[in-house]
Amino acid sequence: MKTVDIVERIEGEAKLVCQWNKEKISDVKIQFLNFRGFEFILKDKPALDALVYTPRICGICGQAHLKATVEALENIYKNHNEELILTKKAKLLREIGLNIEIIDSHIKWFYMFIMPDIVKFSQNNLAEYTPLKGKKWLEASMIASETIKSLALIGGQWPHTSYMIPGGVMSDPTLLDLISMQNYMDQAIIFFENSLVGIKLDNYLDFKKSEDLYKVKGDLKDFITISFENEFEKIGKSYNRHLVLGDSLSFEKGKINRKLTKNISYENIEELTLNSFDIDKSKISKEAYTWSKTALYSNNFYETGPLSRAIVQNRDFVNDIHRKYKDSMFTRILARMDELGFLLFKTKELIKQIDINEDSFIKPKVSLSDFKYGFGQSAVEACRGSLYHDIEIENGIISKYDVITPTVWNLGPGIEDKLSTSQKAIIGTDSLAKAKLILRSFDVCSVCTTH
Amino acid sequence: MKNNERNKPKIVWLQAITCNGNTHSFLSANVNRLKLFLNSFDLIYHPSLTTDILLDDLLKKDEEIDFLLVEGAISSNKEFFQLSNQTTNEILKKLVLKSKYLIAVGSCASYGGVHKKFEQNNNILGLQEALFEHDTSTLKHPIVNLTGCPVHPEWIFQTLFSLKEYKQIALDEKGRPKEIYSYLAHHGCTRNEYFEWKVEANSFGLKEGCLFYEQGCRGPMTHSNCNKILWNDVNSKTRAGMPCIGCTEFDFPRNNMLETKKNIGIPDEVPLGVSKRAYLSIAGVAKTFKIDRLNEKIIK
Ligand code: SF4
Ligand code: SF4
Repeated sequence: MKTVDIVERIEGEAKLVCQWNKEKISDVKIQFLNFRGFEFILKDKPALDALVYTPRICGICGQAHLKATVEALENIYKNHNEELILTKKAKLLREIGLNIEIIDSHIKWFYMFIMPDIVKFSQNNLAEYTPLKGKKWLEASMIASETIKSLALIGGQWPHTSYMIPGGVMSDPTLLDLISMQNYMDQAIIFFENSLVGIKLDNYLDFKKSEDLYKVKGDLKDFITISFENEFEKIGKSYNRHLVLGDSLSFEKGKINRKLTKNISYENIEELTLNSFDIDKSKISKEAYTWSKTALYSNNFYETGPLSRAIVQNRDFVNDIHRKYKDSMFTRILARMDELGFLLFKTKELIKQIDINEDSFIKPKVSLSDFKYGFGQSAVEACRGSLYHDIEIENGIISKYDVITPTVWNLGPGIEDKLSTSQKAIIGTDSLAKAKLILRSFDVCSVCTTH
Repeated sequence: MKNNERNKPKIVWLQAITCNGNTHSFLSANVNRLKLFLNSFDLIYHPSLTTDILLDDLLKKDEEIDFLLVEGAISSNKEFFQLSNQTTNEILKKLVLKSKYLIAVGSCASYGGVHKKFEQNNNILGLQEALFEHDTSTLKHPIVNLTGCPVHPEWIFQTLFSLKEYKQIALDEKGRPKEIYSYLAHHGCTRNEYFEWKVEANSFGLKEGCLFYEQGCRGPMTHSNCNKILWNDVNSKTRAGMPCIGCTEFDFPRNNMLETKKNIGIPDEVPLGVSKRAYLSIAGVAKTFKIDRLNEKIIK
């Protein structure tokens, strides 16, 4: 039996084509049938304009694209041995901006994209999670919009600001701005404590063992209870291989393929189109079924995202849950919400480290158009995982721009006899509703996938 | 259905070729405004927010839609873009027939925006371009273009509440509500005094100076009220130090948005409605005033 199902509410649309055998999914194809052509759009544009374009690849992780662009452009300087000075303040303001966006996204994701479907598996009536109407849904959207104000204070607005530029950032916050940012973070922390986990953030961050799961109260407890009632800790397992490409004050890069390696080289990244459509029709294979490409590291599929970040970074609580429940759907969702707590704490710390007397921006001595040819790469950790940008310029004009989004790592098509990360996670599931949840557990963004 | 639900105007939010930025801008609206909105309207369908119906069901239903909000550009090219097995163009046309008001949410829906730059698909259009006269014959009002990349949530609220109450809203020649887009982004910018006295920001990353002379600020040529109704309640690009890139205009995105195009040291384009010669003489005079206060740090 074959089923074709359209999945909405995943930031765009995907088609889930399942083959069934003895009431279990025996094969699955995830189709993304939309293509917006950003890599083509960026070609022939002035290099700095990429700072305006790439945030528009995605309305939810635009700051990640912005940071990736600015760092790829700065990498061009580096590859020319052209010194570029970046103050600590500028670095902090960029990372704080990105973290706030991730915080905002995690809150929205749990309440808008995950819980409305999870509660359908509960025997209890949990109408509080109903989209647009339920108390909890409303509360979450309110706190998300309060939180993002702290990014607007340094970026001017959210979404789609381009406040980062080679050499630093465009804004110069005052001490009062920083205090206001702290205040917005504190509000989000209060929400985390009172609504999401029902205990103090400090106590939560002290959790080390999977048994600590039982100390969680609040909305996350609803998730945990429903998960164990329905054995969500047993489904959605994939290769258990993890990749973190981005390195920052908040995250460490590395990969896990059985054992942890901190040594990451962009050289090992490969993007393939064996099962993908191509704008050049003569290149499309018969098997092509999606606009998403396939991303591999050292010839292997890897998962990327908050779960991968937590275990590469050795964060105890998630580590122990992962040891027990592997890369299950339960672990993946829990890791994302754990990261919310971690980032709230971390981002407040980063705000405190800003020295307002430092410069925000130091003008590069040469302009990008002074380079006859240049190339640069960068990787940042976006809300959904590792984001990679690769750029080439000629006399300041973009000649090539390649983007690999986190969702391409997780949701791109498998190739030859290798299943992709999400395909492997879905196969073996006994219901469509669960398959969709597993898909969602990766935090799907079709908008990003098919940039 | 509860009684009060029956009287609430029904809204459908369609996402066509988009980055979903307008949705996230909308979700970042002022908390109380969003609550009032949700109490006053019935958002029956939004692909990423509501759960009750799918696009396919919606298309089959006879139900009347009061406000059709479209985020993103339209195309009849199915290879590049399809939703529920149809092109965005087909879906749009079907939904418009059921709707009373049609509102373009964002620059892509209005004019094609960023997505129109994807030239390999030469069929990316704004709503007005995508629809023929007979497609819109059942609408009670001309198409409203809420431009912006993204659009400010308050502009959506004000438009919807006005249409609900007064049934119409005055539009400029580009289909944008006059009361929002007659202002310039420049109005209310905290750097206005620098602009008047021609004190430029020497670099990025400063509280001081105007971004018009070097950094490409389009504030004086861009119709929007970003500095009147602040973003996320707290700020605007130009207040923070980022030049306005003119995202509410027909020609967005332009080239070289982060620098000012100049001719012998003079900005190529001058503020709207001012002749170049007049601007140059005023600028010359203004520059002769060396106002110490404006050449120092604001906070010393
Ligand atoms: S107008 Fe801007 S925010 Fe809107 S869909 Fe287009 S790129 Fe995204
Ligand atoms: S920065 Fe832009 S908006 Fe502000 S005063 Fe200068 S020209 Fe006007």
